[in-house]
Amino acid sequence: MSDKALTFPAASPDLTPVRGRVVRSRWARDLLTFLMVFGPGLIVMVADNDAGAVSTYSQAGAQYGTHLLWVVLLLLPVTYFIQEMVVRLGIATGKGHAAMIYQRFGRWWGLFSLIDLELVNFLTLVTEFAAIDLALNQFGVNPRLGVPLVAAGLVGIAATGSYRRWERTVVFLCVLDLAWFAMAYTLRPPAAAILRGSFAPSMPPGGLTADLIFLVIAIVGTTIAPWQLFFQQSCIADKRLRFADVKWARLDTFLGACITITVAGCMMIAGNASHVHGFAFTDPAKMAADIGSFSGAFFRDAILLLMINAAVLGTTAISLSSAWAYGEVRGWPHSLQLPWRKAKGFYSVYLLSVAVAAGLVLIPRAPLQLIILGVQVLAGVMLPSAIIFLQLLLNDKELLGPYANKPWNNLVNWTIIIVLFALSLILAAQVAAPKLFPAAQA
Amino acid sequence: MATLSNPIEQNEFRNHFVVIHPLDDAPETKVDTESLGPMPMTMSVRISLLSLRVYLILMMLLVLYHVLDMAKLFG
Repeated sequence: MSDKALTFPAASPDLTPVRGRVVRSRWARDLLTFLMVFGPGLIVMVADNDAGAVSTYSQAGAQYGTHLLWVVLLLLPVTYFIQEMVVRLGIATGKGHAAMIYQRFGRWWGLFSLIDLELVNFLTLVTEFAAIDLALNQFGVNPRLGVPLVAAGLVGIAATGSYRRWERTVVFLCVLDLAWFAMAYTLRPPAAAILRGSFAPSMPPGGLTADLIFLVIAIVGTTIAPWQLFFQQSCIADKRLRFADVKWARLDTFLGACITITVAGCMMIAGNASHVHGFAFTDPAKMAADIGSFSGAFFRDAILLLMINAAVLGTTAISLSSAWAYGEVRGWPHSLQLPWRKAKGFYSVYLLSVAVAAGLVLIPRAPLQLIILGVQVLAGVMLPSAIIFLQLLLNDKELLGPYANKPWNNLVNWTIIIVLFALSLILAAQVAAPKLFPAAQA
Repeated sequence: MATLSNPIEQNEFRNHFVVIHPLDDAPETKVDTESLGPMPMTMSVRISLLSLRVYLILMMLLVLYHVLDMAKLFG
């Protein structure tokens, strides 16, 4: 690969010159193109393994061992198919998801979607900071000092006026998340248990209980969340991906999906380790301390740091999805490429989301684990509605032309929507008639 | 940095590939969504979306109730 760079002169005085890199072979061209396009897919997927996800997956491992590994494995194609639709929509229109819903469904539906998104996003952000608070407490750091510092860092990484700078920082944080592999390798149960849990679904001990159903919906809700649709489409629009980038953006999304699902499995394996040693799960920070008691302080600290990293990744992605969506709907300038003074509204929404959520967790004690799980379930029940709008947009041939859904896309997506509705109906039935499913054994 | 305005350099790069970062590339023409206006929706689609909205509000209230119940707020 040559390190030569060249500049094409601008077509008109209003445009900036086009800069490119020169390479000598096709494979180098493909690799470099992929590396340039790569980012939104990986970030949306890894950020999906946020603090709530750490909590939900580790709780699943702590309560049911490796029995629910197949659920996350099943979510790999689901999460990829859904996000791949967003890739096509974002590249074809060059606009965010909120803007698309407003333009194609009108103000009324657009407003509902925006309110849903902002509400769930805000609640999710509270859970991110709740996790940071829990982890800092375990470290012995005063959260009143640590939480505002993390919040300030989060504002700092987004407000540099450079999309590339933000993306590189966040991709670095995503790479740190791979430490879960090392963690799971050290804490692993026998390979047979992992394979059985992943490929041979079986009912966990205790049978079908209300808690199990709630947890499965939470796993679905944390793996595929509505903010991801809005985030990735806006991110693609902000990065100005081109029609020629579709296949690389798909690959980016697929690799991201594989990483997020494997890391989710690793979190369950960590939860399983505490379960095997007889610890009861309350929250992931306590789980880290429990694991540290039998495998050393290094593991405790590593899990706590990974938990903070997950929360930081989740916070920047979720706050950005809120800020992009609000900016698109209000018609404000909304790009990470713009400096603060040129996109004050956009950055203010980001700042406000981070600051208010960080401030809330510093207010006295709340059942944080229950809030985290509740938010995941809420995201799970709101997801089918978000996907239906996506599905309608992707079948809009006037809008997407050759990028519209094919019949097989629709078959897969309607199956996903029906399964998600069925899960939310089971939840409704379980809440309305609590004795329908037996309670979990104490 | 070289520039393609020079014919000698253009020749030098003829058998090579130029890879451009999306942010450095000239803006691409996208689907003109503004001129399309709102999507035509039949009455049945409107009713389905409205039912979905009602269902969603009910589900949100249900989850809220369930979480408060699990927090033992109702005794």
